[in-house]
Amino acid sequence: MRKPTVNCLGFRAIPQTLAFLIQSRLIHRPLSAAASGGEGAGAGGAMVVKKVTLSNFTSVLEDLRTRVREADFVAIDLEMTGVTSTPWRESFEFDRSDVRYLKIKDSAEKFAVVQFGLCTFRWDASQSSFIAHPLNFYIFPRKEQSIEGPSTEFLCQTSSISFLAKYQFDFNACIHEGISYLSKTQEEVALQNLCSAYENCLGDSSGDCEEYTEIPAVRTADILFTERMKIRFREWRESVLNYPKDPILEGNKCGPDAELNMVFFKMHPAIMLNGFTSHRIKLIQLVLRKYFKELLYVSVIGENCLLQKLVVYTDSEEDKASLMKEIQEDKLRSEKLKIQTAVGFRHVIDLLMSEKKLIVGHNCFLDIAHIYYKFIGPLPFSMEEFVLSVNKMLPNIIDTKHLITSNHVIQHLMKQSRKSLSSAFSVLCPQIHSDSQNSASNSFVKVDVQSDEPGSSYWSSGAKHEAGFDAFMTGCVFAQACSHLGIKFEQNSLVMDLPGNDKLKSYLNILYPSWSSGTVIDLTTGTETSSSGHIRKYPKREFANIALLWGFSSKIKPKDVEECMRKFFGKDSVISVFFLDKTAAFVQFNRKELVNELMVLKNTLEKEDGLISVLHPFSKLLEGGNTRVADYESYKEICGSSMSKFLFSDQAEATVIRRKSKIAPISLESSAPEHRISSKSDSDIRSGHLFSFEEILNPL
Amino acid sequence: MATITGRTSRSIGATVRQVTKSNFPAAIHQIKTDIEAADFVAVSTRKTGDSSASSASSSHHRPWRRILPIDTPETAYLKSKLAAGSFELLQFAVCPFSIRGSKVIALPYNFHLFPRDELSLGMPSYRFSCQTPFLSSMAREGFDFNACVYDGISYLSRVQESKARERNPSSSPSLHPFSSSQTASSVADSIFKERIKWRINHWRNAFKASTQEKDGSLAQTLRKLILGGEVYGSRPGMSIDICNEKQMHLVFEVVNQISDDLVVPIYIPHKFEGQPEAVRVVLAGSEDDKKELLAEIQDLEDEQNLKLRGFRQVIDLISSSHKTVVSHNCLHDFTFIHEKFLGPLPATLPEFMCSLRLLFDNVIDLNHLLKEIGPLGKGKNIPGALSYLRRQFFLPMELQVPRHDPQGSSSSHGKNVLSIAFLFSKLNRLLKTAPSGRTEPIEDFANIFHTASMTLLEPGDDDNDDDADAGLPMIDTAKRVGTDDILFLWGFRGATSAAELKARLFRIHPVFSKEFDVRIVDKTCAIAVFRNSGSAEALLKDITSVENLSGAFREMVVEGLRAARYDAYEKVCKIGLWEGDLADSLEVAMADSTEDSSYSLSGANTNEIHWNREMMIDLNEL
Repeated sequence: MRKPTVNCLGFRAIPQTLAFLIQSRLIHRPLSAAASGGEGAGAGGAMVVKKVTLSNFTSVLEDLRTRVREADFVAIDLEMTGVTSTPWRESFEFDRSDVRYLKIKDSAEKFAVVQFGLCTFRWDASQSSFIAHPLNFYIFPRKEQSIEGPSTEFLCQTSSISFLAKYQFDFNACIHEGISYLSKTQEEVALQNLCSAYENCLGDSSGDCEEYTEIPAVRTADILFTERMKIRFREWRESVLNYPKDPILEGNKCGPDAELNMVFFKMHPAIMLNGFTSHRIKLIQLVLRKYFKELLYVSVIGENCLLQKLVVYTDSEEDKASLMKEIQEDKLRSEKLKIQTAVGFRHVIDLLMSEKKLIVGHNCFLDIAHIYYKFIGPLPFSMEEFVLSVNKMLPNIIDTKHLITSNHVIQHLMKQSRKSLSSAFSVLCPQIHSDSQNSASNSFVKVDVQSDEPGSSYWSSGAKHEAGFDAFMTGCVFAQACSHLGIKFEQNSLVMDLPGNDKLKSYLNILYPSWSSGTVIDLTTGTETSSSGHIRKYPKREFANIALLWGFSSKIKPKDVEECMRKFFGKDSVISVFFLDKTAAFVQFNRKELVNELMVLKNTLEKEDGLISVLHPFSKLLEGGNTRVADYESYKEICGSSMSKFLFSDQAEATVIRRKSKIAPISLESSAPEHRISSKSDSDIRSGHLFSFEEILNPL
Repeated sequence: MATITGRTSRSIGATVRQVTKSNFPAAIHQIKTDIEAADFVAVSTRKTGDSSASSASSSHHRPWRRILPIDTPETAYLKSKLAAGSFELLQFAVCPFSIRGSKVIALPYNFHLFPRDELSLGMPSYRFSCQTPFLSSMAREGFDFNACVYDGISYLSRVQESKARERNPSSSPSLHPFSSSQTASSVADSIFKERIKWRINHWRNAFKASTQEKDGSLAQTLRKLILGGEVYGSRPGMSIDICNEKQMHLVFEVVNQISDDLVVPIYIPHKFEGQPEAVRVVLAGSEDDKKELLAEIQDLEDEQNLKLRGFRQVIDLISSSHKTVVSHNCLHDFTFIHEKFLGPLPATLPEFMCSLRLLFDNVIDLNHLLKEIGPLGKGKNIPGALSYLRRQFFLPMELQVPRHDPQGSSSSHGKNVLSIAFLFSKLNRLLKTAPSGRTEPIEDFANIFHTASMTLLEPGDDDNDDDADAGLPMIDTAKRVGTDDILFLWGFRGATSAAELKARLFRIHPVFSKEFDVRIVDKTCAIAVFRNSGSAEALLKDITSVENLSGAFREMVVEGLRAARYDAYEKVCKIGLWEGDLADSLEVAMADSTEDSSYSLSGANTNEIHWNREMMIDLNEL
């Protein structure tokens, strides 16, 4: 639920000059109740949410396995470090569904999830109430050593961090003890790298997978050291060979100092190398390779997790080879174990996926995108692909936001109140919200919170905008909504099949793709339809009629743009002008030809430097010479770029530079102009239209 | 008084004064006097990430974005610029210190920062980036992130402040309204002036008269109504309505001309729009009263400024004190300081150095100092350098930290700044007593930044400082190459290690038969370094003409082997193609034919930075 709220907070951050944007932007995302009132700020002292960090994760995970298996549904909620990486990536009315998806994709890729709230709900027929078990996982993309883990860099939106702070988010717990994770893809890559490294090592006939390090021993100190080591190792080898006769091995006479300690390594006599610099270790390796075929240098992780460096004596080549193999296998095993540990929080997601339970979230499209990117793999490029593949992993998802806005009975109950989670919770579940036992009349679904170890330090009283508590609220709202839909929990003595319930069918797997779209998307089919509850403020947009302008002077205001366009294209030509930020604007024309005309006109005007261009109504727009015009497809491309420049014009310019490199080789090959025009497929126009000015001008 | 001698300087205890939002106003007064009294100011910062972060493992996502040994100062600057734009400052330690003989008297402060949008203007920062290894390494030191986010001090840069004033002008009265350019006065202006003069004089005289007569309260009220008089606090005042900035200046001019200087004009901006609305003329009772009034208004203004500038006030204090600023890794710290407290960073290093001079006269980079002072070259980090100095020289010095804040919170956070002050003092003394005839004052080292990459200490990273601590610094074999002998290579399939790639390249081309070396930059790109000048050029020539090639080299070229000169890399940094792998960015840079005139590095040269086209690169650091 903090997505809308963060955006609302963001409003105040929008400078006055941009205030006109606000009206068209996300206006129906209500400011969360707690910001204004304080309702739902806590559900009495009895409500507790278990805090899960690195220290108790393993034990919680074990309990969770049975809890999820027994659960009727699982409610989730996420807290992130931000929502939009730049102001122009906020949700606009002018966003086509594919553009909106790109914005959500960007958000999920850039920001980190810091809290994962999970609440299992199980119907207890004997008490005729739900048993809820809320958990609050602190997660942090900590970099595990030597494993290509989650991205090492993430963004924070200042307003979101301030928002988290406002609700007492514990940043220390998150960063100090947050649980790390690996996505499925990352795990696969890590395992693959490991296996190939292992094979390389085995295949290497020299049996040494350390990189060759040629150090010319030029320094006197190095030469002396090398000689000293040579003598030491020779003595030691002699003593090992003479073992039964020579009792030297009984004591530690290998060296007068602690640097060389006699030990046994996998039933082989060995010397532990302590306190050598990495440079000297390299010199030792060099000595061994050069003069001692039967002595082997190994570095292994010891019992106490410290790196041990050893020189091991082997009887023969075969013995050496088998020892090497054994060491390698040990390494492989421990590395695999490391990866398994690094998977961390994803075990929870794996559990949800394997149990195929009903997942309940409130306005959870962005949450799902985060889950996909963080725990499964890179996000697909198209929304259809994304939702279909989500449907495969999590086949049953219900969005309570959609449920409460599209059902008439509940809408009637909610009356005018806002559709935010906390307000829905206080309206639909007053008995839990106010924690008053007497109001537990039959119309309310009873929910009991289970705490297995009360008084433990891991428990904290639930607070709004804490993921665990939000997940709990979502589940309560869902349970109550089900009862309003006429689902009788009491009759289900056995495990109830909520996803299969006819009454829920029309709400299952229907999500809001974005908060200002007014559409819902069906996860099973990937189709987007207009939402029934949404009232359109604007007529349907013809995206082909929209031209994108950027790079104009900072003095230009929307009305200037409109005036310029009207002067030249006619009074009715412009339907609306919308500023993405202070450097870029959309112009919506009444005909799509005007978009092309504008691009041609701009180019002609720039080529002429005579009086016409000065007197032309557009001269003001083109002032400075950096103004660019493009069509809606370019906007999509610019949004799809992984860059995140703060100003739209910078982002657009950078995208153009990137694209040039892609276009350049093509234009070189097809030097004949007629060929260029004839081979112009749809995709060419889309991707290359910035360079199509010339083509358009040629026939003119 | 906490006294720390050189031996125990590593374990400096809880002696750094911690400053958060709550005790900031008090600290700012204290630090002002401390800075004034000090000889030098040491600074050190903690950020959410850095261009120099080289974590232990090489699996960084975009390793080439870090400052690498192959970077020239110019490209290193561009990388620092990128970092300063993306990351945030979380702590800023300031330590005014003085050297008194063998004593170093230091007064360290550690400010906790957070770019909170205090004024709801979307400033100072909309979003920022965090590097997990950075945060994790801070967490291991016990860094309190909650303190930062909850109680961190916010700030605005100078550029942001003027933007903020433009957008959301202060509604508090001011003695010094913004001065706009004076335009020639017209007849209308003089009429306006005369009328204002008459009004003020009339009002003034009326008050003079009223103090003599003893009127009833009714008469006083009436007079107030007729004269348009009001009270400002306890003092009589009068509002003069104005409609533009020019009239405001005229009113100020008129008031200052009036011989009787008990009248004080105060600018009152409009509550919402910030347009000039009125000038209030206030009559002070006496000279002393006037002083009091002025002080009152000044305090209001200061408060407003502090609210707006936040932590930047400290930077401004250091700047206006004209003290020499000492830091380690200056390029990193000062690109941040410029970006966060002055304004957006300029496009080139020389411009940056000039711009920075506006803020600080003298900046000494310990990194550069260490590099310059002979055998210290190897001791890259501060503890390493300190321990080296301790072993090699007899420099008895004592670090004293007078406790100036008995009840305030102090801890060891930010103690790094003390080490900087201490190390600088030692080096300063070393330079003065050097027997080698090197008598240059330490100031000669000012304003030259060295671009070393810094290493994060991570557990298990035990090889880090071994060499320095072994007491046997590596002999500098002085394998240095110019940028002309470096080629970037990409499009080689399958090679994952430098040794492997080198083996594949060996002898496939005449230039690869002579002395050359290969280093991997990221997973897509490597550099080849040639000992013989001209080799790079020859290879580059051959790689473009496939038809003249034969054998294995031809095969590699056909498979997609590409090469680029160093300037392609410079261009990548210059136009900021930071996204993606280096090979992709190099492709883009080479395809982009637009050659803007500003992109010509050879012309840029200043005295401030030791820099030339043939930038030497230390191969040992690769």
